[in-house]
Amino acid sequence: MAELVLAAVTPHNPLLWRSMRDPMPDDLAGVAAGFARIRQAFAEHELDAIVVIGTDHLRQFFYDNSPAFVVGKAESYHGTWENEVRTFGMEHVELAGHRELADAITGRAVLPETVDLSVSLEWRLDHSFVIPLQYVRPELDLPVVPIHTNASMPPVPSVRRFIALGEHVRRAISSWDSDARVALLTSGHMANDVGGPRTFAGSPDPAFDEAAAGWMRDGDLEGAVRVCSDFERLLDAGCMTYQYLNAITALAAMGGRPADVVDVAESRFASSPFFLWGSKR
Amino acid sequence: MTKYMVDKFLRWVELSDERVAAYVDDPAAYVEGWLGAAPGPEAATDDRSLTDAERAAFVGRDFAALYALGAHPYLLWHFTEAVHAHEFTPESGWRALVERYRAAVAPQGLVDYIP
Repeated sequence: MAELVLAAVTPHNPLLWRSMRDPMPDDLAGVAAGFARIRQAFAEHELDAIVVIGTDHLRQFFYDNSPAFVVGKAESYHGTWENEVRTFGMEHVELAGHRELADAITGRAVLPETVDLSVSLEWRLDHSFVIPLQYVRPELDLPVVPIHTNASMPPVPSVRRFIALGEHVRRAISSWDSDARVALLTSGHMANDVGGPRTFAGSPDPAFDEAAAGWMRDGDLEGAVRVCSDFERLLDAGCMTYQYLNAITALAAMGGRPADVVDVAESRFASSPFFLWGSKR
Repeated sequence: MTKYMVDKFLRWVELSDERVAAYVDDPAAYVEGWLGAAPGPEAATDDRSLTDAERAAFVGRDFAALYALGAHPYLLWHFTEAVHAHEFTPESGWRALVERYRAAVAPQGLVDYIP
């Protein structure tokens, strides 16, 4: 059977693409080191495929049709949108999909019982998928299964549904008849505000950041649930903070065990999360 | 429905370099053209409408007003950035726009942006 050997949480802040370059600015050295650590773990785990959980930023999915969770079943994906090339200086990329793993996650004919997934066979991936991959696996050589979580367009799934997604992904991989070694790469934010009253003013809520790192350090799923069940509380921490729930999905996928690495890098931007669960063997 | 149409216009313009340029060139004409190009009820759904206040805010590139009208914050910021970038100078660039934007929306607090 296939095995989920690694899970990681990184930021997907697209402003890094222009700013985090040599000569490295002093304030971004910690962010660069966080990515380097995760990149090394990906290189050392002899991976065959990556499940990438991110949140499309109202590009592919919008209010004309806004599913809770979408699993990519395409053979390949175009990455990066025209406005991201313009705004962030990103580059278009092409990524191979992993149809067999996607089918294992969605079911071929009938969806899993614990979480209702949507599927997509034509999907341009935005920076929440491309940026983490470019920093963690710059070769872009492993096939991916992208999963979009709606954390940007209320009504959003509850935190317990994000947990159900993580638990399902783990179960689907471990019951997939394959000898593949699979990594889970999720991205999001700590407290983060883009377009709200505290836009680009550092972390909008350091107290939330501290608690959010603690849930990963302690493997405290229920602590995360208590706070993150309150949508207004997360909105108070910044209008994009709900994307933190992608990290909770990773924690759930790793059975709720404490992360092996919990590093929150401070910089000119909102706090940057780096959480890592390695293989036990 | 109305916040949805604001978001739809923000997204439509910001996704495309060509549309950003056309809007910046003549916001009033672009808004009227967008509204007028809605396909009929027999076509694939692509309805377009704006209230007078929404139309005026787009014609005036008025991000404070659009925020008050319930625009999605993420879409609004990136739209604002896209349609002001041509005005950046060494003295007043991206950071200055961020400060202007934040000064305009912060007094309003969190506006309900759910359409």
